Amino acid sequence: MPVFNFFHWSKEHGRTLTQTGPLVSVEIGVPAALKQHLGEKGLAIPSAVSGFALVDTGAFATAVDHSVFDSLGVPHIDEIPTFTPHGPGTSKVYPANVSFPGMNVADMPMERVVGSTLKWKTPEDQEIIMLMGRDLLQYFLLVYNGPSSDVTLCY
Amino acid sequence: MSLEKELALFAKMKPELLKNYSGKFALIHGESFIGAFDSAENAYAEGVKRFGRESFLVKKISEQEEVYRNQALSLGLMHARI
Repeated sequence: MPVFNFFHWSKEHGRTLTQTGPLVSVEIGVPAALKQHLGEKGLAIPSAVSGFALVDTGAFATAVDHSVFDSLGVPHIDEIPTFTPHGPGTSKVYPANVSFPGMNVADMPMERVVGSTLKWKTPEDQEIIMLMGRDLLQYFLLVYNGPSSDVTLCY
Repeated sequence: MSLEKELALFAKMKPELLKNYSGKFALIHGESFIGAFDSAENAYAEGVKRFGRESFLVKKISEQEEVYRNQALSLGLMHARI
């Protein structure tokens, strides 16, 4: 089982794991079925969107910022009830293809990702585009090492 | 793009879908029920094959509606500084 360590450290801020939370580089791409369809029609396949995923053991479902799907041109396939700071509402559900380049994990198909408004940048300018929920974490072993400011993930 | 028509049809058909296809995924386009599939992946693949980038609904047929809750996001604590 490959083991990957992600050190959360910067020259300016030192140990950053407490401030940022556990981050992993991620790429969100067009789902395989749509990719094949576009290819067969001779249409351009949008490039995957790169950013960081925040590991969120408190969330069941993985969520991705809406803007990612806008730039990929992937329409939503469902709407589900959701709870926000403003009360109950609805969230759109999208299919996506998720890759973790830092772990050599490519093309994990996810048919139901929640679209949300969650994009923000860390003080180190890392743009977070995804909250990695337990639906993805079920495939990983995770070690959160606070004192050394690193996160270990095994796939 | 809205899934208003598709969601309305799903709600209307839900008792019948639960009776015949509980646990499967419904594929609905406009006001047409296309079919029920064993996985969301298969339903989506069929939807793309038929309708390309047009809107269509892929929804799990179950008694309880799926609800998304993320406590930290809901409470605005994801990037709070104290």
